[in-house]
Amino acid sequence: MAILSLVDVKKNFGITEIIRGVSLDIVEGEKHAIIGPNGAGKSTLFHLISGRYNVTAGNIRFKEEHIENKPPYEIARMGLARSFQVTNIFSRMSVFENIRCALFWSMDYGYSFWHLLGRQTELNDAAMHVLEQIGLTDKAKFPSGELAYAQQRALELGIAIASGAELIMLDEPVAGMSHSEAQNTVELIRKITEGKTLIMVEHDMNIVFDVADRISVLVYGEIIATDSPENIRANPKVQEAYLGEVPSA
Amino acid sequence: MALLKNSSIWIAFLVTLLGLPLVFDSILAISIMNQIAIAIVFALSYNMLLGQGGMLSFGHAVYFGLGGFLSVHALILIEFETMVFSILWIPLIGGVFGLLAGVFIGSFSTHKAGTVFAMISLGIGELIAASSLIFSSFFGGEAGISGDRTFGPTFFGFDFAQNIEIYYVAAVWAFIATVFMYLFTQTPAGRMANAVRDNPERAEFVGYSSRKVRFISFCASGLFAGIAGGLFALNYEFITEENLNAATSGRVLLMAYIGGLGYFIGPIIGAVVLTLMNSLLSNYSELWMLYLGIMFLLTVMFLPRGFAGFFMMHQLAWIRGNMKMLIKPYIITGIPAVLFAVCVIALIEMSHTEDEVFHYLALELNPASPITWIVLLGIAGGAFYAVKRSLLQLNDAWETANAIPKEEEA
Repeated sequence: MAILSLVDVKKNFGITEIIRGVSLDIVEGEKHAIIGPNGAGKSTLFHLISGRYNVTAGNIRFKEEHIENKPPYEIARMGLARSFQVTNIFSRMSVFENIRCALFWSMDYGYSFWHLLGRQTELNDAAMHVLEQIGLTDKAKFPSGELAYAQQRALELGIAIASGAELIMLDEPVAGMSHSEAQNTVELIRKITEGKTLIMVEHDMNIVFDVADRISVLVYGEIIATDSPENIRANPKVQEAYLGEVPSA
Repeated sequence: MALLKNSSIWIAFLVTLLGLPLVFDSILAISIMNQIAIAIVFALSYNMLLGQGGMLSFGHAVYFGLGGFLSVHALILIEFETMVFSILWIPLIGGVFGLLAGVFIGSFSTHKAGTVFAMISLGIGELIAASSLIFSSFFGGEAGISGDRTFGPTFFGFDFAQNIEIYYVAAVWAFIATVFMYLFTQTPAGRMANAVRDNPERAEFVGYSSRKVRFISFCASGLFAGIAGGLFALNYEFITEENLNAATSGRVLLMAYIGGLGYFIGPIIGAVVLTLMNSLLSNYSELWMLYLGIMFLLTVMFLPRGFAGFFMMHQLAWIRGNMKMLIKPYIITGIPAVLFAVCVIALIEMSHTEDEVFHYLALELNPASPITWIVLLGIAGGAFYAVKRSLLQLNDAWETANAIPKEEEA
């Protein structure tokens, strides 16, 4: 069953067509990677799904409900969480506060100004648990804006996964990381997306072929192929788009 | 009190508020303390916008002033026995109307932060200030409106004719308002206000409408500004257009900024310092506004996190037990710095005075003589040079005091 389905989604900026009619079904529980050359529109597609941009045409359904042109917060509340390619955290707040803010809505606090946070044991424990998962327990009180790059990326991921959303979208989660950091992050992603649906944009092909159940190839705003990793690797159209860049091993 | 972390700080705050009149009991002191209590509530309410919520407002006096006007009207109604309740509750009336004004204006002004919000706040501020002169039946035109706080039911025999009685009312209200404003920062809505300040976009992706988060802070801020306006009405028993115009809005911005936006205590420090400057300095110099302006500039340039930030800067050195390393360099830089300030103030005051003999500190200076000017300029120049030189040493001492000890590096 498709948890997310895009039908002929288009996005123009002025007269420039960035997304030129994308149709895609994401099956519940799958790990789906979106790959493609720079400027293909991968991040734009993420922004359209998560509500940062309005679509020019087409529709997007999440759990059978139309979400195109809904504000991001409504989509997030339905159980769709995402991370960003460029680190996007609450930089003047502590690491712990960052995670706690990401938990409020899913733990039914809403806009409460009558709950005192010091007394919300369950909430605070949940936040500490997320910190443990992303390996930032000892940085809990640290100002997030002053973290090292890899730690900020871990926090970025933590904010996305904290709420326990059913569909998690990660935009280049290991970009700029060293090899070992990337390996750790991949393990983490595997662990926290267990039983959940994952859509991931990533440039590192080893990671993509390692993690993904299915891969979609986006080229100039169009999906030219959606298939299993083996078939994608063998696909001549994909090889052409990448000019033989697809790793053979 | 278990609600509040560090309850000893709060008890100390309450004891200070209530104990001050025992130490300072002159009429002037009581009047200044009344102003401080009002200013603390007003400045803290402003910080809910700027420091906590990232909304730069140039029109916060609107909520203070409207709360104040409604409070004076309530006093008049009590006087004519249209309403019967103790004037103790007047600040609550101010608060309710501050809140209502906040709900109405916030409904369209909190859509965006940044320049848009700032411009709308400026526009609303001008609009209300201009309207207050036009609708004179409500606002009383330039003369404003006045009431009398001695009517209504007495409170255990107090009729609030004395300023000291009003001080205790103001102190208790200021304490309650401060506690509630602090507690607000400890709630999900208060924390999300910080999150929206830092990154409104990401806040939306964790499920929050940044507009609604701002709106809630805005309304709460209006409520507390209105309470401050109500306290003002009780203290002065009159209110005019001046209390809701841009000058008052500017003053509260200065208080919060100079005190330190990033810290809850910052605006309290700012409120105390500026009120003292306003009340005491104005007795000594007509140019006190100039000094206030210079102080603001220096704060923005050298202490962007305000007085509170300056104190907090020393936290690390304090924890490491290195404060004593800083005392000597501070004195070495401090003495020429004070000397420089003294000379510059003398020069400014001399160029302003029309007297033949200029009394300054214990000195009698002759403004007509070029020698006075040359000597003062010379001392100022020398002191400035000494400050510049000693700053290098201060900087070194600072680095040493805050350096990471070897064993912590690993």
